Amino acid sequence: MKKKVMSALLATTLVAGLTACGGAKSTDTAASQPEAVDTPVAAETTDAESTEAAPSGETAGTITLGVIGPMTGSLAVYGTHIENGVELAVEQINAAGGVNVGGQMYEIALNSKDDQGDSTECLNAMNALISDGVSLVVGSATSGCTSAITSVANSEGVVLITPSGTSDSLTTQMDYVFRTCFKDSFQGELAAKYAADNGYTKVGIVYCSADTYSAGLRDAFTASCGELGVEIVAEESVATMTEVDYTNQFNKMASAGAQLVFTPFYYDVMGPYLVPQARQAGFDGILLGCDGVDNTETTIPDGADLTVYNDFMFVNHYATELATSEVSSYFVETYTEKYGEAPNNFDALGYDSVLVYKAAIEKCGSFEAADVQAALADTSVVYEVASGTFSFDETGTPIKSGVLMGYSYDEASNSVVKTAVQTLAVE
Amino acid sequence: MKTNKTAIRYAINTIALVILMIITFVIGGVDNNTIKLKIVPSVWQCCYLIIMAASLNLVLGFLGQLSLGHCGFMAVGAYTAALVSLAFQRAGVYDEKKGAAFMLVMIVSILAAGILSAVLGLLVGIPALRLKGDYLAIITLGFGMIIVNLINNIPFCGQQGLSQGTASSALYANGLGFSNDEKKGYMYVAVLAVILCMALMFMFVRSKFGRIICAIRDNEIAASASGIDVSYYKVLTFVFSAFFAGIAGALYSCCNAALATTSFAFTNGSILNSVFIVVMVVVGGMGSLTGSIVAAIGMFLLNYAIKNGTWVAALPGFLQNVFTYPMLVYSIALIIVIMFRPHGILGTSEFALCDIPKWPRMVASHFHKSDKEAEG
Repeated sequence: MKKKVMSALLATTLVAGLTACGGAKSTDTAASQPEAVDTPVAAETTDAESTEAAPSGETAGTITLGVIGPMTGSLAVYGTHIENGVELAVEQINAAGGVNVGGQMYEIALNSKDDQGDSTECLNAMNALISDGVSLVVGSATSGCTSAITSVANSEGVVLITPSGTSDSLTTQMDYVFRTCFKDSFQGELAAKYAADNGYTKVGIVYCSADTYSAGLRDAFTASCGELGVEIVAEESVATMTEVDYTNQFNKMASAGAQLVFTPFYYDVMGPYLVPQARQAGFDGILLGCDGVDNTETTIPDGADLTVYNDFMFVNHYATELATSEVSSYFVETYTEKYGEAPNNFDALGYDSVLVYKAAIEKCGSFEAADVQAALADTSVVYEVASGTFSFDETGTPIKSGVLMGYSYDEASNSVVKTAVQTLAVE
Repeated sequence: MKTNKTAIRYAINTIALVILMIITFVIGGVDNNTIKLKIVPSVWQCCYLIIMAASLNLVLGFLGQLSLGHCGFMAVGAYTAALVSLAFQRAGVYDEKKGAAFMLVMIVSILAAGILSAVLGLLVGIPALRLKGDYLAIITLGFGMIIVNLINNIPFCGQQGLSQGTASSALYANGLGFSNDEKKGYMYVAVLAVILCMALMFMFVRSKFGRIICAIRDNEIAASASGIDVSYYKVLTFVFSAFFAGIAGALYSCCNAALATTSFAFTNGSILNSVFIVVMVVVGGMGSLTGSIVAAIGMFLLNYAIKNGTWVAALPGFLQNVFTYPMLVYSIALIIVIMFRPHGILGTSEFALCDIPKWPRMVASHFHKSDKEAEG
């Protein structure tokens, strides 16, 4: 008995020690946030102002923003990056005095919840936020999770901005749901436009018919190709998004004479399987993916022939190199300073969600959900944010441009590098 | 004398259940944000977890066969209930989610979910249950994965149909998917479903069938030598268990507006997956239905508290860091339970209200025994 108690104690101590050293971020609740704001982490220039402003009681109160995302689990990269972006934006806004609501300055506090990439947990998180009195929410990362909370947002009257839920139908029926990314059908359209503009007349598609993301992009790409006069010479489907063998599909692509193959998959299969197998099967044209392909460089196996990753492009939301506006470069600069790495899609889109909220609140002079919703629903407002300049269409999806990025083998550093190629837009 | 005691026990349990139902109705009528947003969804989730854990316990605890694809049956139930209710809605049987017509549709959907799962249980069980131990575990694991892939690829219910987008909001607005207010109003349905399912399972376990499957668990050869048709009773239990998993699935689709097959996978981020259901059964005690209830509620509360509890924020910093890794907390909890209660929280005994007066003596004798063991 004693032994058991001792071993249990030992195990708990070890675990506690491990995590304490890990220095994980504790998810602060709204109550403890205002003090945390006083420690200036943002740009040094605004430093002095903020420390003066806070104690003098200039702020009239706090506005709490809810954040939902997969902070742990297999999609944790998405959630933590969205949170990083949101935190950066909140820090900068608070350091600059806060949000101006009808002449009074309000600070923003955060209330983060983890959904682990699961729709039930996401719904629980959303309900918990609403019950805490939060009426403005940023979340969640994937379309699947977000679709579980859109209807709650609408029926409870809570504004929801999803930074990265790209599925078309998320915003169509829900007045209270907006997003800062583009939607899948637009992405497919951009991909088709790239093919048409660059003179590729014979294209192929390899996709997964069972997956919403992949099948949705394929439908949009096919439709746009039809309009733009690009011929689809071959189309093959695989059973799952985690398929490991694409040889047969690309044999058919090569024999059908496709110059470009559209591959709407996620980064986890591109690096180790799809790209090398496509080249092995004798396909040497362009491989064109979508935003899910970003981060493929992290999944290239050791010792692989890196030249196969040449001519491998993808449509993306945002590229640091092409972001030239004042807001964008300020974001990239401050982000790199704070986190020590360059921001990615999720950082920028999370950051933008907060900026959009700020603009909407200042416009309507209120942070009640219904007023903010009305302000956001105004399609004439132009938002100038880190990922570009846009206004919402009538469903709550931004009308904006995308970027084309490409991978290529760099001999000098003997590695695969990711570069931004051009900005993509449709008229 | 003995019958008298049994009658008292029945009377006490009936009174307790009636009180539970009254509480449910009272809570359902209160208009309060905390109740609507936190307590009611929690009750719904506990309800389907309880049915899942208890129904798996029939196979795992009483029949002694390891099934790793139990969530596959739940997925079948969830999608069946959602599609059946949508079909009725499109046929114009009901417009609003209230009234007799809707109640009827709800009951039909829930039963349809159970029946289809049971049919699938039969199809899987007949070949699978000729295998034993590890081989059965592998084949049921395979079944769980096959079901998920099949659903994904069926055009009218796959990922494109119910999980995301317009079909999801259609389900929410029209079909069985409840909003928070409706969940509150219909909470008694979930509680009633749990009571009925648990009662049926208890009756099964306490009947001739229950004694037979326990005999099979304890010694298959001896059971078969005593004239028991082993394969028949194995399949029967499996089908019976699948039926309840289907009903749990129907409750799931009421509770969650969006259905995604990842929720029913072998493992995923949440506590609803085939592995965690097995864990619940083991923690509660293999062979104790009330143990499954305790474990299901316990695991749910642990999970809910980690994600949404306010008390986590009140802990000292280094402990808070432990709670940012939920999976770590589950494993610590599991280790502690298995260390101190190797047969699960309740072992093979059942919780009964009438036994509460006996508890102090039982606890005392437990410690007395373990002290003796330590000395020996």
